[in-house]
Amino acid sequence: MARKLLPLLLLLIAGCSHASGPEADLQYVKQARSLGAEWALVNEQASQGHLTATYVGSMHQWLRDNLQTTSRSLTQPDSRYGQEVRALLAEPDDASPEEIRSHSDRLKQIEDSLESA
Amino acid sequence: MNPLELTLGIMTAVGGFVDISELVFAAKAGSTFGYALISVFFIGTIGIIVFSEMSGRVAAAAKQPVFNLMRHRLGLKLGLVTLAASIVANLITCAAEVGGVALILNYLTGAPYLLMAILMVAVMIASIWILPFEWIERTYGLLGLFMLIFAVALVAIHPPWDKIAGGFMPQVPHGLSTKELLTFGYFTVAILSAVLFPYEVYFYSSGGIEEGWAPKDMLKNRITAIVGMGLGSTLAIAILANSAQLFGPVNVDPEIPGTAALQAAIPFGRWGLMIALLGMFFAVAGAAVETCMANAYSIAQFFGWMWGRHKKPWEAPRFTLTWIALFILALLIVLTGVDVMMLVEFAILFSILVLPFTYLPLLLLAGDRKYMREYVNGPLAKTLGWLYFVIITAAAVAALPLYLLTSGGNG
Repeated sequence: MARKLLPLLLLLIAGCSHASGPEADLQYVKQARSLGAEWALVNEQASQGHLTATYVGSMHQWLRDNLQTTSRSLTQPDSRYGQEVRALLAEPDDASPEEIRSHSDRLKQIEDSLESA
Repeated sequence: MNPLELTLGIMTAVGGFVDISELVFAAKAGSTFGYALISVFFIGTIGIIVFSEMSGRVAAAAKQPVFNLMRHRLGLKLGLVTLAASIVANLITCAAEVGGVALILNYLTGAPYLLMAILMVAVMIASIWILPFEWIERTYGLLGLFMLIFAVALVAIHPPWDKIAGGFMPQVPHGLSTKELLTFGYFTVAILSAVLFPYEVYFYSSGGIEEGWAPKDMLKNRITAIVGMGLGSTLAIAILANSAQLFGPVNVDPEIPGTAALQAAIPFGRWGLMIALLGMFFAVAGAAVETCMANAYSIAQFFGWMWGRHKKPWEAPRFTLTWIALFILALLIVLTGVDVMMLVEFAILFSILVLPFTYLPLLLLAGDRKYMREYVNGPLAKTLGWLYFVIITAAAVAALPLYLLTSGGNG
């Protein structure tokens, strides 16, 4: 039984690790969409005086680091979603929540279209 | 039974229930699938209550630690396999907790993350060295009660209580695509793994021996396991429900642990944020201590070394060196720069893969009249124990394919 299952499992691993294109990038589009939405939420709460400056600074650093990692992981960086992630990264830390959210919303639209494709 | 001691025990269990994995997966589960995965937390909590009560009973009745009995019951080879598997799972979990606590300190102070990891490991080693066992447990557990802010925040945001109540019924949300169904399956397995982490049971039973539990403590064991863990689980469910209410509608699937603290900041502002971060800090630091100690307990008990924090560190030198070395190993993993979220995912994955190996010996021991005498598993404990063994075995078999097919729950 184990001998039969092992090659199947290896095939599954191989299949997952060599995927590329929009389907493979979908997970990164999702991550970028959420990171953008988290960034917008942080800035929105900060603008209402709900957060400490230290927390906001740390969150900006981690959100940006994660976005950069996500951007580097894309197999098609010149695609529409790749450009949108770069546009998000180009925003300053203290950009308005609406501005950040508009990028996240566009990524969500792309994500939905990729999922339905 | 001393009521004060019992209350402290329960509160400690409540404050110590949530760790970095539960924090991450509860927040993600709520934003992604609404209230549907509350039932998995509920089912997992009954499982951890069953196994914790069983392990406490073994400690009180046989007055021997689980891993010592395991070696005699399973033999050296199978025992070694179980030991090795649990060491790897617990070490990765410990690294995830160390990384998590350093991250939270970074949110609180702005100080560099890796420096905070080094500092916190030094502080945790010092706290284990200095404090007697019950104060190690109580300090982190009781301060972890700051996590109650998440339950208070849930009340403050006026959630749809009927939908939350409906979430306790096992369900699969309607209209999910095949990919989303697989992701739902992965979250189900991950939450079960996070709630049933093996280190919790090892730490709990070894703690029973540290505190000198005897058959007279059976009721205390039962109440602490049921009430403490039951109430602790409500904190994880509160995080899930807050996430469903606050994060889901704005497309946030928390990608970094710090986002969870916003759940308290939104209704309560800065003081809510600070209390949430402090609660997360102590809860995750407590989990780091527990995972490290659980690993050291397992190794020392298996090889028959002197062990326990009821002894001076130099009276159990191999045990002492083991827990210090394990903390340093966990720190080294964090210092490689690996992402905390990735460590959390690996901790979840490794733990679910070894769960059946770690809980089977406990089930066998607690059902063995030779060791347990009149405290052997009754019909309820036996039925629930084997039922949960089937559930965790199924989850272990499904875990790796689901992880690969969903890119670790990312679709």
